[in-house]
Amino acid sequence: MIRFALKNMAIKKVQIILVVISIILSAGIAVIAFNVSNQVSDGIEGNAQYYGVIIGPAGSKTQLAMNSMYFADEPVGTIPYSLIVELSTTDAKDVREVVPFSMADNYNGAGVVGTTSSYLAGKEIKSGKMFDDQGLFQAVVGYRVAKDNNLKIGDTLYTSHSAGDLSPHTKGITVVGILEETHSSFDTVVFTEYRTLWEIHEHEEEGHEGETEGEHEEHEEHGKNVCAFLIKAKSDGSAKALVNKYNGVVEVDGKAVSLQAIEPMSVVNDVLDETDNTKYIVYVLSAVILVMNIMVISIITLLNMYHSSKEIALMRLIGISMKKINLLYIIQNSIIGFVSIALAFALSRICLIFMNDYVSSMGVVLNIGKIYPLEIVILVGVFLISVLPTAIWTFIMSRRDSISG
Amino acid sequence: MIEIKNLTKQFQNETAITYSDITFETGKSYMLLGASGCGKSTLLNIIAGILSPTSGEVLIDSQNMTEKSQKEKDKFRIKNIGYIFQDFKLINDMSVMDNINILKLEGVDTSCAPEILKSLGIYEKKSAKVKHLSGGQKQRVAIARAIVKMPDIILADEPTGNLNFAIGEEVIKSLSEISKGKTLIAVTHDDRLAKYFDCVIDMNKMTSGIVDIIPEKGADL
Repeated sequence: MIRFALKNMAIKKVQIILVVISIILSAGIAVIAFNVSNQVSDGIEGNAQYYGVIIGPAGSKTQLAMNSMYFADEPVGTIPYSLIVELSTTDAKDVREVVPFSMADNYNGAGVVGTTSSYLAGKEIKSGKMFDDQGLFQAVVGYRVAKDNNLKIGDTLYTSHSAGDLSPHTKGITVVGILEETHSSFDTVVFTEYRTLWEIHEHEEEGHEGETEGEHEEHEEHGKNVCAFLIKAKSDGSAKALVNKYNGVVEVDGKAVSLQAIEPMSVVNDVLDETDNTKYIVYVLSAVILVMNIMVISIITLLNMYHSSKEIALMRLIGISMKKINLLYIIQNSIIGFVSIALAFALSRICLIFMNDYVSSMGVVLNIGKIYPLEIVILVGVFLISVLPTAIWTFIMSRRDSISG
Repeated sequence: MIEIKNLTKQFQNETAITYSDITFETGKSYMLLGASGCGKSTLLNIIAGILSPTSGEVLIDSQNMTEKSQKEKDKFRIKNIGYIFQDFKLINDMSVMDNINILKLEGVDTSCAPEILKSLGIYEKKSAKVKHLSGGQKQRVAIARAIVKMPDIILADEPTGNLNFAIGEEVIKSLSEISKGKTLIAVTHDDRLAKYFDCVIDMNKMTSGIVDIIPEKGADL
């Protein structure tokens, strides 16, 4: 039966190719749109809910959140590390955990983050171990960085000020661990203990005796500063108290420092609210394309069946039962439907690979293996729609038996 | 043995055709001769179970075909009757073998198809698409498809209708040769082919209440 169905399909290859392309495009676009928008939202929200408060230099809230959680964009600036004393003592009643965060330098395009091992709590190590909070010049690299640069445990990284900088720092960092793939921005970054970044730049300064005043200031800025403090607050009330206290000019070590404190979840929600309209437009467009293509698929299928009426009548005349004819056409359309949705799914995954470059700036790495239940519903729905017109047509044909007089 | 009893068929807005009672004996070949519209093809279609009569009975080996459901008639036809259509009823875009193998859908064993195609002289065309064959070759494919299941009854509706006399005669020769020992009922309007049949029935008379059977093979009308 399947063999004959395939032979019968070969006769109508042009119509069948049209149907297949139609299904691939409509189902593929719908699945991609749904998958990408959800992975981006999930990725952004997933990272944002980890810390309740971020304290950083005054400036753009969004930039502070995007940089310290997704390693996107440049840091807003730096703040004195000594602020941690105030946070750990006076604010101990509100602070459950405080993690310093610095982002400076670059290794082959990957950002270098200086922090503590707490920042990577919950992230699995694929090979090697976590860097030592008391040790220096140790690095744990994200999965993608290790893969792209073919890094192994024991390799030494030489970072530089920027991706295009041809004179890297002379002091290297040894890879002690490689993170398991997280399908998030953590895959694209090198992590080291925050003091390592200070040490690298202090070491460099020793070699920059002849530099101009401006250049010296730039290096000085790296001093005992960090880009932000990420804080897990004890409660929602504690988070609000910290935000109120650190928004504005605060005295640190006798110096007035302009700070801002944000609740990353609310900043991210503001950003997502802005993009939600775009997301719904994409959904609506995908739905329109899907509906139009469903109509096209149904019309092409019904036209095919109409043209097959002669063939069906012929088969009936030579004694093939309507039951077998129904089965033959349903098998044919099932093959077409199944092949089409399989190709649509494959196309959507290939597109995810290419779209990774576009969403990486949002600190999200698309997981090609991530399948949402609604994607299955879309694909199964399209499959059923590709089979349904045939089933209805053959049912009608069998009801008004074409040969009885 | 096929028995026709009190058979009538009326199509919408047309006069009813009444057939005289007649018996087709097993193993004999019959030629139904008559002008177009006298009910030759209708009779074949009723015997084959493609059409239902308005009244009367068709008994095949004592089984009353008119009492059977369409499904039962289909089953009987696929198993016991080989039907050759005037316009071949072949799927033009499929190969010769695929047109025969289509019967596999109903579980028919088509393993003897190559032998039959050889005996009909079209084996070398087995992989060719039907649309690339001549009329005579198409008719041979239709014959091969009808007899591949080794039916007890072969019904042929104007098997030479689309062919010139020389090719038509060749087709009839092949058909009568291949259907030896089976009941063959062929409809034709060409009386020059009568010599290839055991009996010739004048359908013009039969539908007027007279059965005129010329029983001698080879007799010219």
